[in-house]
Amino acid sequence: MENDFERPTREAAAEALNTLHADRERLANTVEAPRLLLVAFGALGAWWVAAAATTDPGSSYEPPTSGWIALAGGLAIAYLIRRETGIRFRVMGARAGWAVAGIVATCLALFSVSLGLVSSDLRWAVTLTSTTAFLITTWLAGVAYRSAIAELHRD
Amino acid sequence: MTEARFDETIHAPVRLRICGLLNKADRLDFAVLRDTLGISDATLSKHIKTLADSHYVTISKSSSAKRTDARRVTWLSLSPTGRSAFAAHVRALQDIADSRA
Repeated sequence: MENDFERPTREAAAEALNTLHADRERLANTVEAPRLLLVAFGALGAWWVAAAATTDPGSSYEPPTSGWIALAGGLAIAYLIRRETGIRFRVMGARAGWAVAGIVATCLALFSVSLGLVSSDLRWAVTLTSTTAFLITTWLAGVAYRSAIAELHRD
Repeated sequence: MTEARFDETIHAPVRLRICGLLNKADRLDFAVLRDTLGISDATLSKHIKTLADSHYVTISKSSSAKRTDARRVTWLSLSPTGRSAFAAHVRALQDIADSRA
């Protein structure tokens, strides 16, 4: 029920809105990126790409089940990040969407390259694609997280 | 566009700030909210209870890996009713702030 007696003045209303903005800034500035868990995303990507080295490309090729394990691992890391930071984001922003798509595309491409290397008897070179997957996935996970934090600043 | 509606439950300064922070997240840990607002556990609990009684805030609990005792993490979120009431209240504040003296 409305009560005119309780209504704030113009200045008080403006100050209340400014306080809301300041609180959002404070929250965004205090939420720290959980670096170890972002690195865990990179390690997961690297492990999945490295799994190509255990396959036998050719007519008898059977895709490894590591994809499902990696998916479960990714969800587990996302859960741990929420517990670590104490915040579950409502929106993560378009940049985060592109970063996640980039992680999937990069890992798929590097997995394909790794299969090609294995079929060319260059199994050792999978170390290079796996390391690349680690670096790119870690970086893109950081981009996605920073995008989510940037969304906290928005009005 | 959200219709402006002044809400006395939300307008109390601490409760307005609580709703403002919860509105930006899907869920927030009680400790994160308390530290961001810079208030005591007791004060935050009191205002959360008022908001929960009005069905503006929902409370859930989960286990914590950081704790060795049986205490659990308290997660807070704005209910759809709370989000709607907060949006309408902010709209009302904006109308007042934009009004001519």
